[in-house]
Amino acid sequence: MAHAGIKMKKTFGDSLFDIVNTIFWVIVLFIIIYPLWFIIIASVSDPDAVIAGKVFLWPKDFSLIGYEAVFGHKELLRSYLNSVYYTLTGTALSVVVTMMAAYALSRNFSGKKFINFIFVFTMFFSGGLIPQFLMNQKLGLHDTVLLMIIINCVSVWNLMVARTYISMNIPNELYEAAIMDGANHFTYFIHAVLPLSGTIIAVLCVYYGVARWNDYFTALVYIRDRSKLPLQTILREAIAMLTTSTSTDAFFSAYEGDTKGMTEAIRKALVAKYCSIVISTVPAVILYILMQNYFVKGVMLGSLKG
Amino acid sequence: MLLLIVYKIFDNIHWYTSMLIFSCEASLSLDYLYYCKVKLKCNQIGLPLGNLNNQLSPLFFERNDNGMILKDASMERSAKTSLIQRISLAVKRDWQLYVLLLPALGFIFVFCYLPLYGIQISFRDYKAVLGITGSPWVGLKNFRDFFNAYYFKRLLSNTFLLNLYGLLWGFPVPIIMAILLNQIEWPRFKKFTQTIIYVPHFISTVVMAGILYLFLSPDSGIVNTLIKTLGGKPVHFMIEPGWFRTLFIASDIWQHAGWNTILYIAALTGIDPELYEAATIDGATKLQKIRHIDIPHLVPIVVMMLILSCGSLLVSNTDKALLMQTPGNMVKSDIIGVYVYEMGLSKAQFSYTAAIGLFINVINFIMIISVNWISKRLGETSLF
Repeated sequence: MAHAGIKMKKTFGDSLFDIVNTIFWVIVLFIIIYPLWFIIIASVSDPDAVIAGKVFLWPKDFSLIGYEAVFGHKELLRSYLNSVYYTLTGTALSVVVTMMAAYALSRNFSGKKFINFIFVFTMFFSGGLIPQFLMNQKLGLHDTVLLMIIINCVSVWNLMVARTYISMNIPNELYEAAIMDGANHFTYFIHAVLPLSGTIIAVLCVYYGVARWNDYFTALVYIRDRSKLPLQTILREAIAMLTTSTSTDAFFSAYEGDTKGMTEAIRKALVAKYCSIVISTVPAVILYILMQNYFVKGVMLGSLKG
Repeated sequence: MLLLIVYKIFDNIHWYTSMLIFSCEASLSLDYLYYCKVKLKCNQIGLPLGNLNNQLSPLFFERNDNGMILKDASMERSAKTSLIQRISLAVKRDWQLYVLLLPALGFIFVFCYLPLYGIQISFRDYKAVLGITGSPWVGLKNFRDFFNAYYFKRLLSNTFLLNLYGLLWGFPVPIIMAILLNQIEWPRFKKFTQTIIYVPHFISTVVMAGILYLFLSPDSGIVNTLIKTLGGKPVHFMIEPGWFRTLFIASDIWQHAGWNTILYIAALTGIDPELYEAATIDGATKLQKIRHIDIPHLVPIVVMMLILSCGSLLVSNTDKALLMQTPGNMVKSDIIGVYVYEMGLSKAQFSYTAAIGLFINVINFIMIISVNWISKRLGETSLF
């Protein structure tokens, strides 16, 4: 609270302002929460009620058949596991590589400005989609799991954030003391810098993890083998494409040839879409909620010193 | 913090350009060429280089002091020692730091600098069998093709207008939200609000587009159900081109406006509380405090952000536009990024689309640099 220092009787204008402000925020919160709430209640309602538009504020005719359809969908499940794998390995690699480079860039050494430039330049100028596509083809990275893990491994923006954090929050005296005691850069990095960088590591985990979990475009461009596709690319086919005929709908195609299963699937499909939104979004939101305290702290620390 | 980083980045660029000019001058000087020649000779004879560096340098400096470029002697000297000696010295001293940097540099090299080498295909007629270097040169043909293409104007204006409207509608929202959030007096409500407004940022683009398709579906979507109960006719939101920009920008604001308040909230938190206390004692109302304390504090960062986003008015949000594009709304949703993806990867017109990409990248680069120049000028003249 910025102005809790002095208590004074509120004027009429200020009270009015507070009321208007509260109403504003209630409306904003409603606009943000309602769509999310609707997805959750639609996912646990009966398909017929959702199609008829009877679901508004509370689940109608509670049922879990949407989730059954999602968990019965082989491709969706496999892509879910793929995404978990890509996200965990990719994020771990990214955080380690970024922290190493960020520490090095926070110290003084010859050639630092030049190396800095090598990184920063890529933020402003890139080869573009097509040359990158062709070069990755030449390197034999197309359609490989390796590509899904190492592409976009280092985000220069995150690297700069981490570097600024380290150089502002870890005193140079610590380094001098460690050197006196016989440490080198490696031991100092592992035993002093990493334990003191909890906040920034948490922030990096969220940035990298969420970016990887939510990325569909990389796989769309590079992956042809359907068994390697991540969740978001499969989701795109299931929910984010205009479906003109049922055969293009991922939730139906799994049942092709099975007439009875097909009619049932059409009924379920709508609710299943809501369910797949829930199960794909929950991990990212949970990660955010878990790391949220670090997050706010990190931002505040940076702002105070900056 | 972010602002500081941005400043640092631009400072570095400035520094680099001056260094580049300096090293060019140094390498062009005759003395340096002479030095290289001598070294090369010794290499050919087979003398050990390690010792030679020490023995050669004084010899070389003597010649330099008696030679023609006397006035710049000290500058030349430092430039020359930096070339071989300083590198070996630096490697000896800082090799551990270089090792720590190596993985990151490797990834950047493979995914950012190798594609720069691949840019040459935009000046060639790329054929997969001939490879990148084997394909014939065609000069600026691909660029001319794009400028004369039927869709050129449409692509450019679609991309520009989508970003411009997005900026006009989307830019003020986080600022207003940050100011009003700062005025909430009930700490728990404030914390709760702050937590909630960040949440949509973590929803993926695919899910965002999926939500639009589901909610706006003409037969089962909640929006059209509402329209029907109110007596209206269902609207085909995702097919009618007139709705594309509205939906694109509105969903962007819904998703990211809350998150974008972080920067402004950080700036507001940095304000000295004494200012508010003094204002309260003087009988200022909340609106007056916003007008005379909050807004002046936000102006520098707002100007900075505005200028920066002006620099990216031709950047395409390919991910989202690709998801929201339907055969119906092509007239408005066809933006450069999507066109490059469709033509390049679905129709394999690699050289043509690489040229488009290069053209847009160069324009963006020029815009960023000039915008940065403007902001520097503004920064020096100080706004208040």
